Amino acid sequence: MSISLMLLVIVIILLGWAFSIYNTLVRLKVRITNAWSQIDVQLKRRHDLIPNLVEAVKGYMAYEKDTLERVIKARTQAIDASGLKSKEQAENFLTQTLRSLFAVVERYPELRANQNVLRLQEELTTTENKIAFARQYYNDEVRRFNTKIQVVPSNLVASMAGFQKREFFQIEDKTEKETPKVKL
Amino acid sequence: MSFSFIEIEESKTRVIALVFIFIVFFYFLTAYLLLIVIENSLAVHFPEMLQREVFFLPPVKHTLLVFILALAAALTHWIISTDNLIQKITLAIGAMPFDPKDTYHQYFKNIVDEVAVAMGGRLIEAMVIPSPGMNAFSVQGFNGRAIIGVTEGLLTRLNRPQIEAVVAHEAGHIAGGDSLSTTVVSSLSEIYEEILSKLRAGIGKARGRGTAAMILIYAVLVIMHFLSSLLRYFISREREYRADAIAVRLTRNPLGLAEALKLISSHWRGAGGQGQRLEAIFIVNPRHSKLEERQGLFSDIFSTHPPVKKRIQILLSMAHLDEKTLEDNLKNFRRVSPVAVAEFKPADSAGPKRWFISRDQKWLGPFLLSELRQLEGFRPDQWVRMQGQDAVMPAYEDRDLKKIFTQNKEAGFNCPHCKTALEEMNYEGVPMLKCPYCEGALVEQNKVSRILLRSDVKFSEDTVRLAQSIINSKAKYKLKEIDSGSAWVLSCPQCGRTMRRQFFVYSYPVEIDRCMYCTGIWFDKQELELLQYIYEHRDKYFNGKYF
Repeated sequence: MSISLMLLVIVIILLGWAFSIYNTLVRLKVRITNAWSQIDVQLKRRHDLIPNLVEAVKGYMAYEKDTLERVIKARTQAIDASGLKSKEQAENFLTQTLRSLFAVVERYPELRANQNVLRLQEELTTTENKIAFARQYYNDEVRRFNTKIQVVPSNLVASMAGFQKREFFQIEDKTEKETPKVKL
Repeated sequence: MSFSFIEIEESKTRVIALVFIFIVFFYFLTAYLLLIVIENSLAVHFPEMLQREVFFLPPVKHTLLVFILALAAALTHWIISTDNLIQKITLAIGAMPFDPKDTYHQYFKNIVDEVAVAMGGRLIEAMVIPSPGMNAFSVQGFNGRAIIGVTEGLLTRLNRPQIEAVVAHEAGHIAGGDSLSTTVVSSLSEIYEEILSKLRAGIGKARGRGTAAMILIYAVLVIMHFLSSLLRYFISREREYRADAIAVRLTRNPLGLAEALKLISSHWRGAGGQGQRLEAIFIVNPRHSKLEERQGLFSDIFSTHPPVKKRIQILLSMAHLDEKTLEDNLKNFRRVSPVAVAEFKPADSAGPKRWFISRDQKWLGPFLLSELRQLEGFRPDQWVRMQGQDAVMPAYEDRDLKKIFTQNKEAGFNCPHCKTALEEMNYEGVPMLKCPYCEGALVEQNKVSRILLRSDVKFSEDTVRLAQSIINSKAKYKLKEIDSGSAWVLSCPQCGRTMRRQFFVYSYPVEIDRCMYCTGIWFDKQELELLQYIYEHRDKYFNGKYF
């Protein structure tokens, strides 16, 4: 076997390995896009549920107008937001307003027993859970991608092909991290 | 997930190929042995016919023929078992698609959707087994269709984090790729169970008419049955550990799964009935068997699940807790109903909703929804006020009155007593039709068991007093005491035929009207609550003796 033939074989093997790493990185990147669209779907669903909830409670909560208005404003803001950071902020704010709305609903016994309100509460709870899970899945995929980019054999291929680190979907809002105070 | 989809696809194909080869092999082995026996016995009895030595191996041509027959038999077995795979299995265990009108089922579907999102957005269907035992299963078909199911008993006894953990475990099987192979292997071994049980029933009926051929066939089938149980070797016990790990990874809550496993394993797991060979698809083996709690080669081959104790131990170590904490948690475990239920309002205090409507500057009413439907000249822009509320609004803004203008006809069923239109409502999460006036209810036959299993509603004092007096008087009704010329005879609201007044079950002294043609059961005012109360206190009612 001549040396040039051996070199050729080695080059082919190296190329094959590089291609397979590149393909893995591309696949991971596509999964990240898929995960992001999952979050988007759930956030949209929450936006669509909120007007129904406001309609259902409006008739009973005549004195809580400002809470309702805050929810509606937060929702419009969240729909209009664009870009990762501002979207995060708007959605976190919307979660806060919804939480205060539910706290108020608890104080009205007829609302607590109303079938429509109960159903909508359940829908919103499950949507919040789905948002949390979608975020978790997105962060898991981003973690895998970022790890793969930085680990030794594949970081060469990654830097040559121009793959960048992706950001996690973080909690921006500091008040969410505080322990909730219970006012009695 | 830490294993790529390609690896999962490859391992799935490998296992299925191995299983098919195993089946061909065992058919071939059985047939070959039979061939040897037959040819040798022929040689012994008719040596002139074969002109050979006493013991020999069959010639190649015969072996080849037997091999082709074995291949054909294996293919038939495979196709019969895997055609409509999912339908067969779900039919065998009695799983039904979830009822979207039932609050509990909808809640379960929500949980399944949440876990599907956590997995990256795969479509998973939800099914419910109408059994009071506690268990969960997952099946997967060849076209990628995946199903997760639970029993009614599980839904009524676990809270949200626990159900989520159980569903995540089942999703772990689907994501880990072993649910397809488990489904296929279980179905393959199930077929002999079915054939044998049918034969047993047939032989029982045809006593004395059995011939030697029938007995031989039966013996062969028994052997096949035993050999097919060896297929269980393909279902490793280890996959349960892996699914547990995936469940923790998805929900980040090992304690939830540990609690759920403890509760499920210490309760009736729904064994018995059909689907004896389908244990592998469940989260905890439906049959309590001492073999499973052991480890070692024998139990590794013959049991499909690892010891529950070990699984709980592993989960608790992930949560950095010990057994004692788990037991204390469970002792203080008070399940909060996931679907918060309105408290029962006795008839005199609130009653059905009524509205005042404004006409010619005067307030008329209060009217029921059904009355407003029939009221002449009732327009959407008329002002209404709900009884008990202060808010005045136009009729089209009221959620319930809107229904009048959007629906052109009513549900169509009327109360058999007072002829008021029946309204749809959920009681204990179960959809049924209720009369707003006399509070009678029409429930479908197969849904009554769900109502009995669930206990979210608080009963009124009246009902409790009446039920207590029935329990304390220990009235046990005998068949003769059913009065056939009873005071009233009702017509079924759904099909119009006469309903039969009888006990719901003979052990409980609550009479209902049952339509023998369609599926409806009519409960008068307190009958459903009484039945529920006595069922929940059946220990006291039967005083420990059920017969």
